[in-house]
Amino acid sequence: MSDKLKEIISQQNERQNVVLSQLDDIVQLVGFVIGDEEYAVPILSIQEIIKPFEWTRVPQVPKYVLGVFNLRGSVIPLIDLRAKFGIQTKKHTDETRFIVMRHGDDVAGFVIDRLTMAIRIKKDKIGPAPDTVNGDDTLIDGVGKQDHGIITILKVDKLLERDF
Amino acid sequence: MDEFQEILQDFLVESFELIEQLDQDLVELENRPDDLELLNGIFRVAHTVKGASSFLNFDVLTHLTHHMEDVLNKARHGDLRITPDVMDVVLESIDLMKALLHTIRDTSSDGGIEVGACVVKLDKISSGELDDESSLADMPLEEEIEDEIEEVEDALVEETQEPDYENMADDEIEAEIERLLNQRQNEDKAKRAAKIAAGESVPEAPPAPSEEEPKPKPKPAPTPVPVTPAPKAAVRKNDDDEDSDARAASPAKRAPAAVEQTIRVDVKRLDHLMNLIGELVLAKNRLIKINDDVEERYEGEEFLEELNQVVSIVSLVTTDLQIAVMKTRMLPVGKVFNKFPRMIRDLTRELNKKIELEISGEDTELDKSIVEEIGDPLVHIIRNSCDHGIEMPSVRIAAGKDETGIIGLKAYNEGNQIVIQIDDDGKGLDVEMLKQKSIEKGIITEKEADAMSDKEAFALIFKPGFSTAASVTNVSGRGVGMDVVKTNIEKLNGIIDIESEIGVGTSMKLKIPLTLAIIQALLVGVQEEYYAIPLASVLETVRISKDEIYTVEGRSVMRLREDILSLVHIGDIFEVERILDGSEHAYVVVLGLGAQKLGLIVDTLVGQEEIVIKSLGDYLKGIDGIAGATIRGDGGVTLIVDVVALMDMAKNVKSTVTSSNSEASQLLKEKSKASDYKVMVVDDSKTDRTIMRKSLESLGITLIEATDGQEALNILKQGDHNFDAMLIDIEMPRMDGYTLASEIKKYNRYKNLPLIAVTSRTGKSDRMRGVESGMIEYITKPYSADYLSSVVQRNINFKSEFLS
Repeated sequence: MSDKLKEIISQQNERQNVVLSQLDDIVQLVGFVIGDEEYAVPILSIQEIIKPFEWTRVPQVPKYVLGVFNLRGSVIPLIDLRAKFGIQTKKHTDETRFIVMRHGDDVAGFVIDRLTMAIRIKKDKIGPAPDTVNGDDTLIDGVGKQDHGIITILKVDKLLERDF
Repeated sequence: MDEFQEILQDFLVESFELIEQLDQDLVELENRPDDLELLNGIFRVAHTVKGASSFLNFDVLTHLTHHMEDVLNKARHGDLRITPDVMDVVLESIDLMKALLHTIRDTSSDGGIEVGACVVKLDKISSGELDDESSLADMPLEEEIEDEIEEVEDALVEETQEPDYENMADDEIEAEIERLLNQRQNEDKAKRAAKIAAGESVPEAPPAPSEEEPKPKPKPAPTPVPVTPAPKAAVRKNDDDEDSDARAASPAKRAPAAVEQTIRVDVKRLDHLMNLIGELVLAKNRLIKINDDVEERYEGEEFLEELNQVVSIVSLVTTDLQIAVMKTRMLPVGKVFNKFPRMIRDLTRELNKKIELEISGEDTELDKSIVEEIGDPLVHIIRNSCDHGIEMPSVRIAAGKDETGIIGLKAYNEGNQIVIQIDDDGKGLDVEMLKQKSIEKGIITEKEADAMSDKEAFALIFKPGFSTAASVTNVSGRGVGMDVVKTNIEKLNGIIDIESEIGVGTSMKLKIPLTLAIIQALLVGVQEEYYAIPLASVLETVRISKDEIYTVEGRSVMRLREDILSLVHIGDIFEVERILDGSEHAYVVVLGLGAQKLGLIVDTLVGQEEIVIKSLGDYLKGIDGIAGATIRGDGGVTLIVDVVALMDMAKNVKSTVTSSNSEASQLLKEKSKASDYKVMVVDDSKTDRTIMRKSLESLGITLIEATDGQEALNILKQGDHNFDAMLIDIEMPRMDGYTLASEIKKYNRYKNLPLIAVTSRTGKSDRMRGVESGMIEYITKPYSADYLSSVVQRNINFKSEFLS
């Protein structure tokens, strides 16, 4: 009896360990589209996703910094990722969203064309950024391979870094 | 380890507090070397620090304080006269003690600082002087005292007290001992209470007090010793009483009161509280705005009065609350002033001058963050006054002045500003010499020098690299200090005002706002943007007609009463896209910063508002001309102008006030082909839009379509197109034509955009509403293609040569 019990318990433990190790191997991302490309950032770096609203222009900044907006009492910079990635800007649509990302104390809102979905992807499916864009300055953390194509994973800390 | 850390924290807090008062006491002591109360106070500090540090195993600190204690003890007993030379050594040792305490705070150990030399000097004083003046003290007694300081037992205390009794009148001693014991007990009680209040749990407390307890007991014993001649003691006691209010040096009176009335709070908590109040002020502003809107819409309704009452109560309480919290963060400016007597003393000896410092208004209170910031600027100013302002004694006598120079340090409130005034009766600033030096150093040109007013010339001393000193001394002359002063004060939104008269003296006023977080601001508009300007820098606002603006050497200026005021358009500084609004008038906000003045041209003046300063965060910090942001009543963000930076930026901005306007308008009007004309068609019916398109097709102009008012407004806001006219249907979902028209007219840049209503509504009232909302033409459906075409042509000034 007790042997059986032990067996069951050990089996359960094994299963749990497998689940845990699987969890360890999986990265959760949020995917979004800018221009024709799909990008993603880790879900934990996203503070919230909101519909576009009014912002205030700030002078003497690069074009991709649209300005600042009020997020429940905090003044937060707003960055247009289309402009930042050198894609022709377009007007906001119903699908446009502001993604508010946080890394440490740095917070900023990013304008994206549309959200796709939350993605679970195995770590071994994520390759390094292509050699051509390697280096410290790249915004690309890696490239995730999925069934229907590839997805570019961005470095949140680099996105939130001031580069002007 | 944690327990040790906690005790260490307590020790540091206590020691720094003690030392704060120490500097002033020491300088005071030099003037009144026989003041027993002062000596006792100073001795106590050394003693307390010694005791605690030995307990905590800070050997270097213990070693130093022990020898300090020796010297002070001798002085206390009258065995040693406090001469300036002795004082120098004592002060040096105190500096070392401070340095050690800082090291301990930063590294938790007291290594790395050499105290040997100082200890030798202290020893020399205590032994050398002792030999000369041993007559006063009995040697056995002396030894006993020495022993005592090495932490004696209670038994020994009793021994020392015995001979004293014999030498003194009984009641005198009784009273004296009583007093000292009480004092000590009170202090201990206070200390313990403070420790418990500071969060140290009771069970943890024993190690510290139990170590301390043996010390307080031997303490009362040594004190009666110096009062050996009874009558003298009485005299001294009287002195003390008289002095006590001036010096406030009697801890016995202070300590119990302090326990009852104060509580130590973490600054972070206060900061948090201040932030919350900031949010509340924003919410209050919003509430007031909503109240105004509601008032407009439901005029005469009964509930309005109730709402009004609530809003005013909330607003009143919020204001009171804000002031109350601000006050909790206030510290007396005396905290900063305290260190200056010592500094002046050192400087007088270094410079061989005679200078007296007169401090007043040290109770004036200032926000903690400001108190911390003004220390350095004041040091620079006072050093400057000592070095450059006050003359050498011989020169002063020759000039018929008192040999001793006086520097006055005064603080007082003026409106919602605090003024710190530094006066000296020295030689004053020589305008011509200032100009000459500046020209030599290439800071200004001769031409600029000629045009300078006296005030502007005084301000030259704040220029980086400027120095009047012939040689660089230890004290000043590097030309850095005053530049730092200016930067620091301006960082606090403060201004500096200098007045000076040659031979009579110089007076410098630092005007600083009471708090940093919440300020009064003037809100101005330029095109569709708004900016907040700190009201402290706004001198006045004037409305001028555009032809009052002149251009001199490529810069815009205007005449303001007797003066010429240079002008700059806020749009040029903040890169605002400007479309001619056609208005003949402009508003000029006259900004003043010290002696500098600048006229800032804005489109509209919105009003005065209390704003909460928020930082733009790391990502956007350091933008020229922007000091921060605030959140307005409507939830939008408004940027706050950094007046200091703006004044600098204005120098590099070319005049565009008049020229660019005409350029911009020309750009708009320049049409080289028919398709340069753009007209927006707003109609929810596809058929109607097609009819309009067909009717206008022959003109060859570009048509942009929108299906309702909201979409049309968004297209306009996007700003991708410069429209020459709009055709607007009235009946539309989401936003109708009237609303759209009135929305469009809110924008300066579209004020002159022709809006043409195209509708099947034919009633007179409909037409009237159209006119009211800003439509200039009214076309009723059905219409002929030619008629529509001709109306459009007329309104967009279509050039006939494009007609094919």
